[in-house]
Amino acid sequence: MSKPYERGILSDADLQKPWNKVVYGFMVLCIVVMIVTMLYPILMTAFNGLKTNQEVNTFPPRFLPQTWNWSNFKEGWAYIQLPMFLKNTLYVFVGNLVMTIFVLGLASFSISRLKVPFHRGIYFFILMTLFIPASSYMIPNFVNLKDLGLLNTFWAFWLPAGANAYFFLLMKNFFDGIHPEIFEAARIDGASEMNSYIRIAVPLSIPIFATLAIFIFSNAWNDWFWPSLVLHSESKYTLATAIYKYVINARSMDNNIKFTILFMVMVPPILVFLVFQRFIMRSVSLAAVKG
Amino acid sequence: MGEPETALQPVLQKRSGKPRGRFRKHLWGYLFLLPAVIIFILFLWVPIAKGALYSFYSIDFVNGNTFVGVDNYARVFQDPDVWTAVKNTLYYMLLTVIIGFWVPIVASIAISELRYFQGFARIAAYLPFVVPGVVLYGMWRWMYDPVGPINGLLITFGADPVSFISDSRWSMIAIVFMETWQQFGSAMLIYLAGVLSIPKDWYEAAEIDGAGVWNRIRYITLPSMRTLIALMFILQVISTSQAYQSQLALLDGGPNNATLTYALLIVKYAFTRLDYGTATAMGMLMFAVLSLVGIIQYKLNKGDDGA
Repeated sequence: MSKPYERGILSDADLQKPWNKVVYGFMVLCIVVMIVTMLYPILMTAFNGLKTNQEVNTFPPRFLPQTWNWSNFKEGWAYIQLPMFLKNTLYVFVGNLVMTIFVLGLASFSISRLKVPFHRGIYFFILMTLFIPASSYMIPNFVNLKDLGLLNTFWAFWLPAGANAYFFLLMKNFFDGIHPEIFEAARIDGASEMNSYIRIAVPLSIPIFATLAIFIFSNAWNDWFWPSLVLHSESKYTLATAIYKYVINARSMDNNIKFTILFMVMVPPILVFLVFQRFIMRSVSLAAVKG
Repeated sequence: MGEPETALQPVLQKRSGKPRGRFRKHLWGYLFLLPAVIIFILFLWVPIAKGALYSFYSIDFVNGNTFVGVDNYARVFQDPDVWTAVKNTLYYMLLTVIIGFWVPIVASIAISELRYFQGFARIAAYLPFVVPGVVLYGMWRWMYDPVGPINGLLITFGADPVSFISDSRWSMIAIVFMETWQQFGSAMLIYLAGVLSIPKDWYEAAEIDGAGVWNRIRYITLPSMRTLIALMFILQVISTSQAYQSQLALLDGGPNNATLTYALLIVKYAFTRLDYGTATAMGMLMFAVLSLVGIIQYKLNKGDDGA
């Protein structure tokens, strides 16, 4: 915050007036209340996970634990097979990412750069799917996967990952922004289309791939509903599905251990967010403006 | 869309000079598109087409499907649960507008005026958005507990405790409040980008002309955000009309069907009543209604521009 503050709606002169001062103070107070409201449930989840079960259930709730029970983590880690569910989630994430970059990357590169005859038709064929509400074909989609024999396999995630018009649009817009001269130069030097995709387009596209990776990661990590339909053997469950089935819907489970597990599940996405926050916040507004 | 290849024409001629050169030239372009086209057909267009087809069939995974005409649709219109679900969905959409829609707009303007800790406020507002859904449900079930923190706060202020989850008057409100908590940060960031892109000299000029703070917000900030607000409103209507996950996870449509939304009823038809045909028919009806809304909105928009 070293650079001088650029004026917004209010100028310095406005803030000299007493009435404005009162309103501004009230506004700041509201923001503080908002920030507390935002952080309280998250911090509570963390602290509840460190309390004894008895303390979690006391009323009114206390904020900080009286004793810090770090052993809850050991218990929570062993409560369900977290490493296995974690591995499944990472499988889904990596497979989806590879499919997205392979299928959608090539297609958007072709639409954006190679301009084959009828490319506009194919472009609309892909984009049309954006306007069809997802829940209206959710059930036939499930039946379709069953007909194809993909239920209870990871292919039921990997293959449809290539059918995402929104990610396609993001990549196509990105490729549109690369200067065509680079590709012309490569062609003059004799590079094939495949070469110019792999050796020029892909390295230049690291930012958009990173954005997609974050989206795909959060999707693989958060989605509990669809995997709970598609997968039916416990050894294939993703993390979110397993948590939903065995923790959220658990009948008899100590509340403190429940919160320990929830905390462990919440930490990786929060860490990813805090580490890449500048990058993520920029892509959120970027995606909105372009989409 | 200028054709950048003009400078390259001699090179291309050399590479594809044969009679079938035109196809050769585009071979790679088509090959690049092929996987995507196959995947889109197989996993989007086929399910959509099957949706239209299956809504006239009784689906049986064991004995095969049988054609039943419009029976599925008839069942939808006769089921009293469907009308409850439609009513609940409309109520839910209304609540998300009343409780949730204005929050990110106000918050983005307020945060844009912060002189210190603006970055921190942004991160804090966005943080709930990265909390996974399952964690959200566990967290808020406890928050709403009869002996949870919210009731603790109510009692401190001398109010009567409320059982948010099991009281059918409060359950939908509880869900909307929870979702607003989680999601407003991402909308706020989008609005904030809009607010910050308004040129500062406009405010400067307005101030010199004697416009007060409220008038500057009323006549400069809000009109500049008008298109964005309209867009976000449409997106919200489209997504809230299809909501079911929180209702399913937190309350399973209860208490007493108070949170049974239309999309949740689709899920229930398919996976509890195992009646995939009727579930598909409900999906087709939803598609028809949303398309109609989309067309009307488009027509209205066009009329707006013409006027």
